[in-house]
Amino acid sequence: MDIIAGLIQTAFLAGGVLALAALGEVLAERVGVVNLGVEGLIALGAMSAVATVVSTGSAWLGLLVALFVGFCSGMIFATATVIIRANQILCGLALTYIGTGMAATIGKPFSGSPVPVTFEDLHIPFLSDLPFFGRAFFSHNILVYVIFLALPLALHYMMFYTRHGLNMRAVGENPAAADAAGISVIKMRFWYTSLGSALAAGAGAYLTLSFVPSWSEGVVAGRGWIAVALVIFAGFRPINAVLAGLLFGFVTALGFTGQARNWPIASSILSMLPYLGTMALMILPVMTWQRMRRLMAAPEGITAPYYRDQR
Amino acid sequence: MNLIRLQRMPIATPRVAFAFRVASVLLALFTTAIALSISGRSPVALGAKVISSTFGSSFGLEDLALLFSPLVYCGLSVAVALRIGAWNIGAEGQFNFGAFCATGVALFVQGPTWVILPLMALAGMIGGALWILIPTLARAYADVSELITTLLMNFVAILLVYWVATGPWLDPSGMALATTSRLPVSVPTLWGIVHWGPLVAIFLAIALALFVTYTRWGYEVRIAGANPGAARYAGMPVKTQLIGIMLLSGAIAGLGGMMEVAGTVGRLQGGISNNYGYIGIMVAVLARAAPIGVLATAFFMAVLLNGGIVLQSQGLTTHTVLAVTGLILLYAAIGDEMAHYKILHTKAKDI
Repeated sequence: MDIIAGLIQTAFLAGGVLALAALGEVLAERVGVVNLGVEGLIALGAMSAVATVVSTGSAWLGLLVALFVGFCSGMIFATATVIIRANQILCGLALTYIGTGMAATIGKPFSGSPVPVTFEDLHIPFLSDLPFFGRAFFSHNILVYVIFLALPLALHYMMFYTRHGLNMRAVGENPAAADAAGISVIKMRFWYTSLGSALAAGAGAYLTLSFVPSWSEGVVAGRGWIAVALVIFAGFRPINAVLAGLLFGFVTALGFTGQARNWPIASSILSMLPYLGTMALMILPVMTWQRMRRLMAAPEGITAPYYRDQR
Repeated sequence: MNLIRLQRMPIATPRVAFAFRVASVLLALFTTAIALSISGRSPVALGAKVISSTFGSSFGLEDLALLFSPLVYCGLSVAVALRIGAWNIGAEGQFNFGAFCATGVALFVQGPTWVILPLMALAGMIGGALWILIPTLARAYADVSELITTLLMNFVAILLVYWVATGPWLDPSGMALATTSRLPVSVPTLWGIVHWGPLVAIFLAIALALFVTYTRWGYEVRIAGANPGAARYAGMPVKTQLIGIMLLSGAIAGLGGMMEVAGTVGRLQGGISNNYGYIGIMVAVLARAAPIGVLATAFFMAVLLNGGIVLQSQGLTTHTVLAVTGLILLYAAIGDEMAHYKILHTKAKDI
């Protein structure tokens, strides 16, 4: 039982990065912009959070700076893809390269050293002391509750139960119709892409301030790409995205447990699990259930830039 | 009164597009120079150092040729797939797995060099094709985006190479850490330390260019890439084309991996691909997926990578080059879109 409680606890901790980054990507893709820069944004956020914490000693300030850096990078990306309407795939790859490269260059001085302040686990009276459940569900830092509970529920409500959410989805599905209805396609796309980028960078801050409390060059290790894949698997829905993140946190946790308990499998092989698992989840569902394709389909207007005069 | 307005054209004229390409590269280098001077380094001195250390000695030129080789293979790999509208972001993984398969042949098959080397090249190509097989089939039959699946396979290949190099295939002599023993055969050298890899790469680029331009097959691939619906309607086997091209794309990257392990490095070790696959995307995009153009952009990127090695001695990391690459890519993407616009002068009475 103790092993399982530990597994679940680690699954939340590890899955938080993917869940938060995937939430950000859901926002961007729902308004019709594919942001492939998530990997670079996580790296930038992770590095700037550590840099802030090293010099100020405040984890909250670190998170805030990461969100800000992500938002600014997102605005640059959105300027290129939404306003100038350059190719989203190329700009996304460029953002990944720039983010990864800049984070490695700027973060070199404090690479490898542990972060002085991290987000501490909350102790909730009564709940945290429960056997099994206390360890599995109620001994996390505050960000875990924000990522897995508050944020997805709020976004789900906003997207599916408010007029603004309907407008937002309309922009992603059929920008021409949304435009005709008086919704500003450019504004909607610009701000949600930037906001999504901020969340991706926030995932980076979560990575270095709560999950792996240190910064190094390879710390992101493809998590941004897994997050992008999870959004597709989650059918572009915030709650599904968070659950998918948790599932992958579980896969990662299995790898850790295997390493810690000396299972007779090389750690490199165990580290392959999340990537192979993502592959399987991207391919198997659409092959097995034809109906899934329609149900989980991407927004109709995705990756297509919107030209008002060329409808 | 004359009015000036911008009109978006459906296609960009090649000359304007080329001008924007050059401008975007220059702008990216300029941005880098500004960033370097903000960080307290002299961009002019660094630039001069990069140029002199690359072109000033035969060592520099030899290094340049060795960097040029993997970039051409990876660039061609991505370019070929782009022809049919597929994004092979997994050249990095196919490169690694090709190197892995070639190493397997070299370590476990005995025979004369003239048998083993072609066998290694074949193993590398088959390995590369195998590594893209699942993403290819998933794209062809289940419409799963190859962009992300090919990319995910990169991490698996890199981990696999790292694992064999530190585990099962670790150099038994105990002299080397985290690499296999020196391969018993190597690609013969042509000039200094430069082996046949770069030359074969150039021939490959020319062959592909001829193929794409002058064969029915190349024509059909181009049509299938430009308008799959029209190609299908015209009776072209679009799905078969897609599968064939993507496997070819993987095979080219795998051959690059074989040349790297059997020519340049001489042993299999973790990180052998050194981001070549990712920079290869950039090489292909800058060349607008033209095989001959790949030669030019790969040369340019090789100079930049070589510059990165110089930068390393100045307290920067090799990743700095990745950031510069990204900057060029971003400007190039923006430039591509801007090249579509035409400035129209309209006389007021025409309106």
